[in-house]
Amino acid sequence: MSILAYNGAAIMAMKGKNCVAIAADRRFGIQAQTVSMDFDKVFEMGPNLYIGLPGLATDVQTVHSRLKFRLNMYELRENRRIKPKTFMSMVSNLLYERRFGPYFVEPVIAGLDPKTGEPYIASMDLIGCPMETNDFVVSGTCSEQMYGMCESLWEPDLEPDDLFETISQALMNAFDRDAVSGWGAVVYIIEKDKVTKKMLKTRQD
Amino acid sequence: MATSGMMTSGFSPVMANPGMSFQERSVEVSTGTTIMATEFDGGVIIGADSRTTTGAYIANRVTDKLTKVTDYIYCCRSGSAADTQAIADIVKYHINFQRMEMGEEPLVKTVAYIFKQLCYDYRDQLTAGIIVAGWDKRDGGQVYSIPISGMVQRMPFCTGGSGSTYIYGFVDSQFKPNQSKEDSLQFVSKAVSLAINRDGSSGGIIRLAAISKDGVERFTLTGDQLPKFYEDS
Repeated sequence: MSILAYNGAAIMAMKGKNCVAIAADRRFGIQAQTVSMDFDKVFEMGPNLYIGLPGLATDVQTVHSRLKFRLNMYELRENRRIKPKTFMSMVSNLLYERRFGPYFVEPVIAGLDPKTGEPYIASMDLIGCPMETNDFVVSGTCSEQMYGMCESLWEPDLEPDDLFETISQALMNAFDRDAVSGWGAVVYIIEKDKVTKKMLKTRQD
Repeated sequence: MATSGMMTSGFSPVMANPGMSFQERSVEVSTGTTIMATEFDGGVIIGADSRTTTGAYIANRVTDKLTKVTDYIYCCRSGSAADTQAIADIVKYHINFQRMEMGEEPLVKTVAYIFKQLCYDYRDQLTAGIIVAGWDKRDGGQVYSIPISGMVQRMPFCTGGSGSTYIYGFVDSQFKPNQSKEDSLQFVSKAVSLAINRDGSSGGIIRLAAISKDGVERFTLTGDQLPKFYEDS
């Protein structure tokens, strides 16, 4: 089995009207066995900046720690909050440093520009190749299923409430066709002045 | 790889399926699964989940793993989907023949032994874990377990498939002989639900069947009907 599919994960992010959403499943498993249903894969890196880390669970936690360290140093030196695009470059650099012995994570980034509030989403592969899009990004063991769901359900300029419904349905129906992801889901809706975190009631199989 | 021998990598002539990723094209279709059968007062209850996987992709989420062999004898299939379907078809053929010649319903033991003969003789080429369960007028309800290697063993109740490993403690502590039909249905559905909760290769809906002298009665538990246990948030 591929190392990226050892623990299993499903994460996606979508752009809406002056908002972004990022959603992930909550399973922590070891191949076919589910160990817990409350494993966090989406981390807050700033008031309006979130990163989702699917892949090998140990690397999920290590990359998050190391990234937080670099981000803290950035904010101390620059004395300001980081822009999402710059953060994407920071993540890319961290991953490419390990080009020939990589971290087995394929991150998804979602956030709003601290000054202008403009929505931003991006994803990258395990060695840091970034991809910025204007609609949605997906990553995880059921990425093909997620692409299908997003391509059908997404439309531009969705309001926060509609974006929540869209991303929830896209994520849930995708990971319901994957044996190693699911068992609960969490959705973050990120707007200029507030972030709403919602848990989804999902199939527990 | 710890998957209870349920999935074998190897080239299999699977028809072009656009849903499969590149890695999945050379992995067998498997019913990595949870199956169960138990005797009750008057017959047997059998149960299974409904998930079929190709690698990690769920190829079928409403599979019927409870396969009819005769009107009073069913088998629960786990392991390779192709192998178990082929074996069940061959057993059905043999038993139809015998039924026509003898003019009466075959014994559960006979069906179990035909399954065993196939599973043992071709054990190197097959991946099949089967539970045969049914009712006959000589010995009433019976459950026969035929695991991978091709042995046969009659048991009061039996579990099988990759999900069964998660429920040994539950079934060993909760089984009582000579339960009523309703209590047995509860027992099987709770056990399968617990296994589905933990095993990635099991999921979907729970299919149940009750076999007695009156024939077969089938049930399906979907969505909220599945037994629930402690879950935080």
